[in-house]
Amino acid sequence: MKMKRILTATTALAMALPCFGLAQVTELGAGEGEVATVAWPGYIERGETDKAYDWVTKFEEKTGCKVSVKTANTSGEMVALMNEGGFDLVTASGDSSLRLVAGKRVQPVNIDLLPSWKNIDERLKNAPWHTVDGVHYGVPYQWGPNVLAYNTEVFRDAPPKSWSVVFEEQNLPDGKSNKGRVQAYDGPIYIADAALYLMAHKPDLGITSPYELNEDQYKAALDLLRVQRTLVGRYWHDAMIQVDDFKNEGVAASSSWPFQVGLLKSENFPIGSVVPEEGATGWADTTMMAIDAPHPNCSYMWMEHTLSSNLQSDLSVWFGANPVVTAACEDKSGMQTKEGCAANGMEDFDKIHFWTTPTAKCSTGDCVPYYRWVSDYIAVIGGR
Amino acid sequence: MSAAVQFDHVSRHFGGVKAVDDVSLTIAEGEFFAMLGPSGSGKTTCLRLISGFEKPTTGVVRIFGEDMGAVPPNQRQVNTVFQDYALFPHMNVRDNVGYGLMVRGVDRRTRLAEAERLLALVHLDGFGDRKPAQLSGGQRQRVALARALINKPRVLLLDEPLGALDLKLREAMQDELKKLQRELGITFVFVTHDQGEALSMADRVAVFSQGKIAQVGSATEIYARPATRFVADFVGSSNILAPDLARTFGVAGALASLRPEALRIIPAEGARITGRVTGARYLGAGTRVTIAVNEYLGKEEAEIAVLVPAAGKVPGIGAVVGLDWDADAVHPMEAA
Amino acid sequence: MSDLRAALPGRGIWDRLTALFWRRPGVLVAVLIAAPLAWLGIVYVGSLVALLIQSFYSINEFSGVVVKEFTLKTYAELLRPANADVIVRTVTMAASVTLASAVLAFPIAYYAARFARGRWKAAFYLGIMLPLWSSYLVKVYAWKLILSKEGIISWAANGIGAGGVLDALLALPGIGGNSLSTSYIGTFLVFVYVWLPYMILPMQASLERVPQSMLEASAALGAGGLRALWSVILPLALPGVIAGSIFTFSLTLGDYIIPQIIGNSANFIGMAVYHLQGTAGNIPLAAAFAVVPILIMLVYLGIARKLGAFDAL
Repeated sequence: MKMKRILTATTALAMALPCFGLAQVTELGAGEGEVATVAWPGYIERGETDKAYDWVTKFEEKTGCKVSVKTANTSGEMVALMNEGGFDLVTASGDSSLRLVAGKRVQPVNIDLLPSWKNIDERLKNAPWHTVDGVHYGVPYQWGPNVLAYNTEVFRDAPPKSWSVVFEEQNLPDGKSNKGRVQAYDGPIYIADAALYLMAHKPDLGITSPYELNEDQYKAALDLLRVQRTLVGRYWHDAMIQVDDFKNEGVAASSSWPFQVGLLKSENFPIGSVVPEEGATGWADTTMMAIDAPHPNCSYMWMEHTLSSNLQSDLSVWFGANPVVTAACEDKSGMQTKEGCAANGMEDFDKIHFWTTPTAKCSTGDCVPYYRWVSDYIAVIGGR
Repeated sequence: MSAAVQFDHVSRHFGGVKAVDDVSLTIAEGEFFAMLGPSGSGKTTCLRLISGFEKPTTGVVRIFGEDMGAVPPNQRQVNTVFQDYALFPHMNVRDNVGYGLMVRGVDRRTRLAEAERLLALVHLDGFGDRKPAQLSGGQRQRVALARALINKPRVLLLDEPLGALDLKLREAMQDELKKLQRELGITFVFVTHDQGEALSMADRVAVFSQGKIAQVGSATEIYARPATRFVADFVGSSNILAPDLARTFGVAGALASLRPEALRIIPAEGARITGRVTGARYLGAGTRVTIAVNEYLGKEEAEIAVLVPAAGKVPGIGAVVGLDWDADAVHPMEAA
Repeated sequence: MSDLRAALPGRGIWDRLTALFWRRPGVLVAVLIAAPLAWLGIVYVGSLVALLIQSFYSINEFSGVVVKEFTLKTYAELLRPANADVIVRTVTMAASVTLASAVLAFPIAYYAARFARGRWKAAFYLGIMLPLWSSYLVKVYAWKLILSKEGIISWAANGIGAGGVLDALLALPGIGGNSLSTSYIGTFLVFVYVWLPYMILPMQASLERVPQSMLEASAALGAGGLRALWSVILPLALPGVIAGSIFTFSLTLGDYIIPQIIGNSANFIGMAVYHLQGTAGNIPLAAAFAVVPILIMLVYLGIARKLGAFDAL
């Protein structure tokens, strides 16, 4: 789910963003009776999929703001919808958030009007994907790592510690080779996972960010992925298909999301997950407010609502993600537990490299832009 | 003369329908034989029983004495010219004609030469390269004929061979088919609903009615002495004389037929039968005059048709005339 | 005597309209086709032209921005080994699927066209159409389960002692894999399953149009069944076979869902287009890829025409 959403062609996105002297809301009035949102599927639930997961109904009763949700499946779609106008809020991912800021589609958020702002995880309050020159352009919503999922029957009491089980041929603890028993993500952004692995294992390449690769680093990552191709039977791109592959194709280990791990666990499938020693890639989403939001008061009420511990708790269980309010892991305000947060990678924040779109101009000079990642990853999967 | 085709109590039923019902028939070798009847009378089914496209429900079909019960169509020395000609549209005329030889594995050169020879036989020299769609109806008919003859079948079946042609062409083809049959000396069996065609071409005719044969005989026999009322009705346009009227015409106690051309119009005075002219239809070769005789007989309504030759005088409508006829032309028959 | 006119008195607008249409048949035609023509022209041809134009643009190597200048560079990109692989892979798959569909469909279509009557015919249509009514995705996911390593096929193969055969099949270089579901064989099987009805139906329609008398003529001339099949039925049914093959071939060429779910993830043209346009923003290359099936189909139709597939139309 998140991969699809994260990526859009934003290679030309300028990193240096001017400070807009944009007016922000300074005081809140009465609700306008509704709030229109653009969100990833499964992000805003009103109990229609599963009765237990509902964080809309009560909000509507309390504020009188009717919440409408338009789901979008890619970041590109999200940006397009926001450009269309008529929406108040969007749950933007790391690759579209800055684009929305640069395109002046979203407005700064007055954090003084959000009493719960103070509860936000310190690590996220000033995250670069929503904070430009000290100005906040949104409220963190959820984040998650791309974990290494593994079959506990195969690994028994020796859980994998490194991504090497999916990158290099080796015998797994059950004595059989990993060939044909591992999977990798079917999206070009996965090149970053290879780069992350090289960052730890080939320090002389000098990779500082898996999303900023020069030609040599990029080539090394592709070479690693070519080796991986010989190990991978099928790449995964759809969470439900991966779940099925774990069950029916004898997959022993793969990059995955906590979502699939949780689903498989709930079916008592022998599955475990870990953020390996190299760290992991991950994603973080932000609720942003349209520059011309027709319902600013309801929008602020909703943003405040999204920071409630109860919502964060339930949402993080539902989505297999991490709450942006630390307390949500422990205060039992919802279904989330300390263990659940740990499984979703709550404690691994520092090891997570959040997705951003690779651009030609990068902090290290010239980098290989994302569009090349796309065609080269196609080539790698095609066996070239 | 030995028998080319023999039906021995053959029936063919389709569900509850008796398309052919206990037919026994012998067609002699070298004969030009017609199966005549209205549609649904069973004549086409009989033809298909000979070609093998239908199997008898009961009874035996023999060809040259051999029981055909277990012989599929492609192994019979019989060929068919289909009503729609069934030319293969994707092949040119030469390949169509040569198909039968190709099937037998004859080499290309030989079969194309043979095809040309047969095309010449049906006067289509030089048409070999055309596709069937580029030919007229008459030409297609000849191609179908040539194609059917290339394997030198011992019996040639023709299903309404001239049905799709216009009158002039039909007459020309009749002569040609007749000539061809004489030249080749093989047995021709053809199906038609056109009595004129049957009578003019065939040596012998079987008249079919409701799955049965109503009468088999030479053309003259069928025409002049129809065995049943059906035959008289279907072949030509005979006057059917009810027993009362038949008695007046000199045949006692039975239905009788009397051909219009055997009657003559004479002055009413002294005539044995008189009547009033009710209609006249010009036919070119003569005029068919209908005369109502009932009022003079005081019985049920009866109209008698008289063929007045082109040279004869045609009385006006309403005129009262007398009738004269050839006594031996009044022919008694069964009621069926 | 004024009511002895030759024409009936007019009864309003519809009569006048009818009269207009009668006098000027062109007006009626124009009225009837204006809307669909506009739809076709704007939506269909328009998008096609837009696609074509895009494919002549290129992407700036450095910035990744689309350069709106006419160039053949993007088409040259298609020839890069990785991209050529995608095209060859797709076309090979489409051709194999078409061939297999034709071979499988023929006996079924032949039976339906020549022998099935009444209730059996209805059963045939139902049987062929039924899979078309259920969701395409559901079918593909179902096949994923059937073909999986722990699925029913490998279970059955092992059960009857044919596990070795299956393993040997999967060990074939190039088309094998870890399981049927992750190999080209699996992709192929599912493609054939999904598109088979599109081959059967036109084939059956064209076989039905072959007159019975053609077959009888062939038999009367001494031909056996095989000869008739080869020399008469097949050539006459060719338009149907071609029509069916156009379906199976082009549907396989364009599909991007089946190879995503079944197979070893190697890209097919549709998947490449999806990846290139969606997130990469490489619209020119995506457009160039999208033009490939169109060109292939044009060549295909040209060959079919040369072979006389449309002569009987």
